[in-house]
Amino acid sequence: MCTVGGGPDIGNIESLAAKDYECLDCKNQFKGMGRRPMCPSCKSRNIKAV
Amino acid sequence: MSILQIQEYQGCLKPAKAMKLTIKEDEIAYLEGRKGTIAIAKSKGLFFYLETEAEERILFTEPEDLIVASSWGAGDKVKRALACTIFQLREMQAPLIVLPKGHPASPRLKVVVSIGERTRCSCQIQPGTHPEQDVLCACQEFHQIEIIGRSGGAEILGLAEEESNIAVQKL
Repeated sequence: MCTVGGGPDIGNIESLAAKDYECLDCKNQFKGMGRRPMCPSCKSRNIKAV
Repeated sequence: MSILQIQEYQGCLKPAKAMKLTIKEDEIAYLEGRKGTIAIAKSKGLFFYLETEAEERILFTEPEDLIVASSWGAGDKVKRALACTIFQLREMQAPLIVLPKGHPASPRLKVVVSIGERTRCSCQIQPGTHPEQDVLCACQEFHQIEIIGRSGGAEILGLAEEESNIAVQKL
């Protein structure tokens, strides 16, 4: 991931592969990239790809 | 290709050196050249927010992954800017606000950041315009170097040591 600090501009972010996840604990839904996803709201790793 | 072009091309090539840097979680490493500076810190396995007009994406990292920030120029002012950017992202969990492509503010940005397992530096790309997301724009001195996250630090490939000062400090 590459971006620009200050008022960042990372270019074509839409082309990056992101998955949709749902937290099974707090039901938060989010898009994530990376090998070890966790819920950004409650920090739970009890999540599933949707 | 003319002889001059070949000489210029050969001048861009860096000897394939590998260097290991120990970087603790509360430290930042600087590679300072004449025209540019790169700062390296551990991501600590944290996640980072990427915000566009339309949506939010979360970038998850491994403990050995790196935050690599690059800026043009050298000296204390530049190093403070790099440390500030990394501190905001990592310690304050500041979101990365993504400007639309071609936004007039893009050329004014002073620091570029790469977060992940591996970063390749290039002086032949424009900030924010590159689709390969492990590529970071940097000055000529750091062209073609590769920075890889390792347990307890980082490994740097292709760095000409005589062209840069290397220092590890508390963040």
